[in-house]
Amino acid sequence: MATRDNTSLVDLFVARATEAAAKVERIGRAASEVRAAVARATEGLSSLVVADGDYLQSDIFSSLRTIPQVIPKPTDDQLATADAGITEAFAGVARSGSICVAMGPPLRSAASLLMPLHVALLPVERIVLRPRELFEQTGIGAEAMQRNIIFVTGPSATADMGPLVRGVHGPHRLHILVLE
Amino acid sequence: MAAPPAPAEAYDAPRAVANKRDKSALLRAIRMALGIESDAIRRNTQTFNRNRYREAAALPDYEALKDEARAIKERAIGHLPDLLMTLETAIRARGGNFYLASTAADACRYILGVCQSHGAKLVVKGKSITSEEIRLNHTLEGAGIEVAESDLAEFILQVADEQPSHNVAPAMHYSTERISALFKRKFSTSEPLDTGEELTKFARGRLRQKFLKADVGFTGANLVAADTGTVMLVESEGNIRMSSLLPPVHISLAGVEKVIPAQSQMGVFLELLPLSFNGKLTSYISFLRPPLDDPPFALTGRPRKKREFHLVLIDNGRMKLRQDPVLQESLYCIRCSACMNCCANFQTVGGHAFGGETYCGGIGGAWEAGTGTLENARFSDLCTGCSRCVNNCPVRIDIPWLNEVLRDRLNRSSAGSPLASLLGIVSFVRGDDRRASAQKVFFANYHWYAKWGARTRAFANGVIRYGPARRLMESLVGVDVRREIPPFPAHPLVRAARNLPPLARAGKRAKVVLFPDVYTNYGLPQRGIATIKVLRALGVDVVVSDAIPEGRAALSQGMIATAKKHARHTADALLPYLDQGRDIIVIEPSALAMFRRDYRHLLADAARFDLLRTRTFDPVEYIARLSAKSGRPARDLFDLARSPVGSRLFVHSHCQQKTLGCAQPTEALLREIGFDVATSSVECCGMAGSFGYKKEYYEMSMAVGEDLFGQVRAAEAPDAGGARALVASGTSCTEQFHAGLGRPVLHPIELLAAILKL
Ligand code: SF4
Ligand code: SF4
Repeated sequence: MATRDNTSLVDLFVARATEAAAKVERIGRAASEVRAAVARATEGLSSLVVADGDYLQSDIFSSLRTIPQVIPKPTDDQLATADAGITEAFAGVARSGSICVAMGPPLRSAASLLMPLHVALLPVERIVLRPRELFEQTGIGAEAMQRNIIFVTGPSATADMGPLVRGVHGPHRLHILVLE
Repeated sequence: MAAPPAPAEAYDAPRAVANKRDKSALLRAIRMALGIESDAIRRNTQTFNRNRYREAAALPDYEALKDEARAIKERAIGHLPDLLMTLETAIRARGGNFYLASTAADACRYILGVCQSHGAKLVVKGKSITSEEIRLNHTLEGAGIEVAESDLAEFILQVADEQPSHNVAPAMHYSTERISALFKRKFSTSEPLDTGEELTKFARGRLRQKFLKADVGFTGANLVAADTGTVMLVESEGNIRMSSLLPPVHISLAGVEKVIPAQSQMGVFLELLPLSFNGKLTSYISFLRPPLDDPPFALTGRPRKKREFHLVLIDNGRMKLRQDPVLQESLYCIRCSACMNCCANFQTVGGHAFGGETYCGGIGGAWEAGTGTLENARFSDLCTGCSRCVNNCPVRIDIPWLNEVLRDRLNRSSAGSPLASLLGIVSFVRGDDRRASAQKVFFANYHWYAKWGARTRAFANGVIRYGPARRLMESLVGVDVRREIPPFPAHPLVRAARNLPPLARAGKRAKVVLFPDVYTNYGLPQRGIATIKVLRALGVDVVVSDAIPEGRAALSQGMIATAKKHARHTADALLPYLDQGRDIIVIEPSALAMFRRDYRHLLADAARFDLLRTRTFDPVEYIARLSAKSGRPARDLFDLARSPVGSRLFVHSHCQQKTLGCAQPTEALLREIGFDVATSSVECCGMAGSFGYKKEYYEMSMAVGEDLFGQVRAAEAPDAGGARALVASGTSCTEQFHAGLGRPVLHPIELLAAILKL
């Protein structure tokens, strides 16, 4: 877990996630600052879905819901056609530039999968160095063992049609907001 | 080299040549692959390969991770029956269903039953090679259920009606142009279908609707943890996430060998499996314990059903494979594809030729034999035993050994021929081994022909250069007439060594015995002379042992009883030298690899193997060690200015040298002396011992060699500084250079002998 090497761990995370074609920003975690960053990230889009968090303070999510394009209680039909999903990330993995999404809470899975843009809010203290730390019996691993977890590294991609194409069935863009 | 391009219709369809029980199907598949698939296969596999090497090199504990993964798999397969019981309990405790299917038909019946119980009309499917093994689509479609393959590669294969050509990227034999032509033929649409982006967009659009409307989502599973029932799913496109999340019913199918004891062990595979494919974590790797607790998903007008989950594990021969003393190892396979991507033969023809109906590559033979019949593994003849996959396999499977054993069993199951028996009898082949083809018996005993060739030199050299005689040889034992057989020397190494001047100075530094392998002894004795000269100049006491076959030739033809006999005799002959305090020097890398790797399987006594393994060296590797030990820099021993070929070299290390780790010391030593060294990055030259000599594989061998020849050309381009001297340690690589570039080749030891300062 993030300790005194926090800075280099976060730097590594940012570098690797960027290499994996995610967009990464480091911001503060005041609700207003997060709201402004999400509003910028989703500018020009007309329908957003916000899923509740597990770890970040709840005022962040209530303030995100005041963004006008957010659909308050989306139906499944709306989920299938929305432009962007905003979710919390369960953890970040520095070495691979991945985030983890823990499934379960309403809208979380859909908001991280069905829309062309996924915006993930990653609390900086939840960044670990290597993927396998999520499988250790202590710390963040112990929590992860209880959940359905997805490691997300960059947007969905394929090389099946020849060249590398980003944006297949899953999100075409991944935007990670690291909350310090 | 390439045949003039022929239209695709001029070749067999991949499905028509998928089963290679009949060898002609293998040859037609090679022709097809070289004709239309090779370019895309090369590009894709070589990209995966480069990416894996780069990331593995950056991972400090790569070797330790492989040890860990191997240990977990050994334990898992060892305790499989218990694990299956634990897993069943875990799955049921969470409200899932567990089914252990004994055969392919049994699995299909169960899955169809689940679909029918829900009145399913549409099944959306993530990539699952295991579902290809059981021909699931056939069953479901036969019952009137629509199957939508949602992985884009599987989507292409479904449209084209072809089998996978690769474990992880099953349509990697398709170029954008060919996909574009295929889609334009099969779909009537106004959407553009030319670029990769357009094709992806088109497929995505069609499949999005399927995900939302599917009654059942079907996926494979990369691993399953027995303690918690956690399923690991690796992908990049998001289709597996959709298939496991959106439809109310999720069925996951896997072979029983995918079960490991604990979820906590999955972290090791999370780090190793995607790395071993393409270097990095793929976009999505899910660890799920279904049925999911996420609320069920339903568009307006569709029923909102409770989630249901079925884990279907399949035996289909695996439990029997588990009892097989050798092939059991194949069950450790995590299907990462590293052994395909690093295989020069696979890089050139892919899994339609180097593969069967479902499984492909070096590991594919064991899989096809295990889930089908032994004859299904016939394509594993394309494994040359080059050993490049051995260090790249994340669970350390000795893949060439599996293929040698398969070949041995195939030899034994065949009827044999009068010619093979005759050749076998005159050259002292072990009884049952004579049932192999005449070609295999011939190559396995090349030492015998070489010995008599040398004794009847004038006559024999006439024969190997006389066209009609060579054509006869081609038709009888399949030695391609286009290949040069090195002329038999006036003095084989053993005899020539006797004529060398006596020791100038007593060997105080070290004592060695030079083992005259058959290729050096009868083909290129000058390499042995050079070795003796350099070692003696460095103060080493050198003697030469008798020339005996060490067993490589027999092993590579799958004649294991004969190879064991050769190994035993060689060990008997050499161990007394070790007792005298001599190390062993072996010049031909494929022979060296016998001592260092393969004798593990051939010598009954592990202690003898260990002695030979640790005290046998490549000559240049040995010199580099001496130089390091004595603290005398190489520049004190060798003088670049005396080089007969200038200072610019192109060094191609033999595949076995690379695996044994003695390529790097040679390259480093030459650089230390001051040579400007360009190196090849190909996995293998394509000749690979007898492989390229065989008439039926000549074209393929030369196609493999094209990569090497291309690298030489690039290193000699005017802007790269122009010509270089070719340096290679392998006898086969030397012949391949002759055939492809028509140029002389030096062994590094010959070069060192020429520039000795002492
Ligand atoms: S030993 Fe060589 S030819 Fe055989 S599968 Fe491995 S890499 Fe391929
Ligand atoms: S044999 Fe080894 S390298 Fe080949 S696919 Fe299986 S695990 Fe990967």
